[in-house]
Amino acid sequence: MKTFCALLKNELKLNIRNMNMVIFAIILPLVVLVILGFLYGTNPAAGGTDYTFLEQSISAQCAISICAGGLMGLPLVVAEYRERKVLKRFQVTPISPGILLAVEFLIYVLYALVSLIALLLVSGLAWDVHLRGTWVSFAGSWLLTVLSTLSIGMMVGGIAKNTKSASVIACVLYFPMLIFSGATLPFEVMPEIVQKVIRVFPVTQGIQLMKSAFLGLSVEHFTLPILVMLAVALACSGIAVKYFKWE
Amino acid sequence: MEEVVKVESLTKAYGALPAIDHVSLSVKRGTAFGLLGANGAGKSTTIECILGTKRADSGNVSVLTLDPRKDRRRLFQKVGVQFQECDYQPEIKVSELCEETACLYKSPVDWRELCEQFGIGDKTGSPVKSLSDGERQRLFIVLALIPKPQVVFLDELTTGLDARARRGVWKILKELKDGGLTIFLTSHFMDEVEALCDEICILQKGRAVFYGTVAQAKEKSGCENFEDAYLKLSGEGIE
Repeated sequence: MKTFCALLKNELKLNIRNMNMVIFAIILPLVVLVILGFLYGTNPAAGGTDYTFLEQSISAQCAISICAGGLMGLPLVVAEYRERKVLKRFQVTPISPGILLAVEFLIYVLYALVSLIALLLVSGLAWDVHLRGTWVSFAGSWLLTVLSTLSIGMMVGGIAKNTKSASVIACVLYFPMLIFSGATLPFEVMPEIVQKVIRVFPVTQGIQLMKSAFLGLSVEHFTLPILVMLAVALACSGIAVKYFKWE
Repeated sequence: MEEVVKVESLTKAYGALPAIDHVSLSVKRGTAFGLLGANGAGKSTTIECILGTKRADSGNVSVLTLDPRKDRRRLFQKVGVQFQECDYQPEIKVSELCEETACLYKSPVDWRELCEQFGIGDKTGSPVKSLSDGERQRLFIVLALIPKPQVVFLDELTTGLDARARRGVWKILKELKDGGLTIFLTSHFMDEVEALCDEICILQKGRAVFYGTVAQAKEKSGCENFEDAYLKLSGEGIE
């Protein structure tokens, strides 16, 4: 536990010093929120709904930070540490790979959490966005989205051959998920055929789940996506730990 | 006396290219062992196979009676390592690298004291990348000593250090050795080997061509000077 906390503190400091994630996981979602806030204000989402457009899209902005950390930050930092032989230095110490991965994993959970809190505060104060569902179901759906997305990233970082291939895989996962999952462009405005294709992204399902939970809509028809996301989280983190390579 | 490092018939090839060929050696507690040879003779591969960071094709290795691959987490509580290729997170500071290393062990020594001893006590707030080559080399020796190890592996011990700093490092290592530390090192400096090592092994193309003390090496080669002896025994001498 002492080891875990000391490593977490150190790695978090290094990560913040790097600034990339502060920009892409915390500032960027806030910028998107503010732009949408000025465009839509407190307008309802569509004719006849009692929730506002911003309330409907807040979950998508949470997903921007989850995607940035999980599909860019996490795989790249693990791959970079391997390539720079930082992991090799850890290999000749008593640390277990699981703890090392857990530290890096938790850093990106923290980024996503800070982003979530910032988004809720700003949107709540400026445009009266408030939770219409229960905290438990919203927090649960957020956590599930975080776990499934981050574990995909951890697996990529764990098994990619080098930084270059990790960044190619990260781009292939990150940009389509960021643009088409509904994180930046609203899912609702896309043509039906595109909607069908992008439903396979776990992030898309996560956003839809978070949205329903936030708006207090029924989440009953999400049983299958929830099970799939859980399975993805378990399988990917299992693979990441099992096939972890120091070098 | 107790054998701390025991290697029997270690063999490893990279593809068809043999890197080390049936190397056997043993290092007793509280002694210093030097592994010598030209670049590419197999020194680093031998160290990596002993530490388990590379898998040997055949042969047996035990360090402190443990198997480095199977008992990795237990073994490295008691073993310090300085690799030839030093590696650290891009933005990390000296103090952070030391803290991060110290937190991995059950009973680490005070790293600030070690930094003072090695003459980098005033650098702890600096980024590691801003250190000079010599300072960074000393930092990595400090990192290898933080675990309060029973045995320490030092690959290319004092490369990049000036003459005074090298003497300083030798002095500290000798004191630690007198206190019971076992040292396994590789070096290209024969004065260093002569000053520190109780036993040496010279590798040539992955084979051990000499194994014994410095005095025996001089005797066998018929040279007064140890560097001459080394060159003759390792087959590097130009006749």
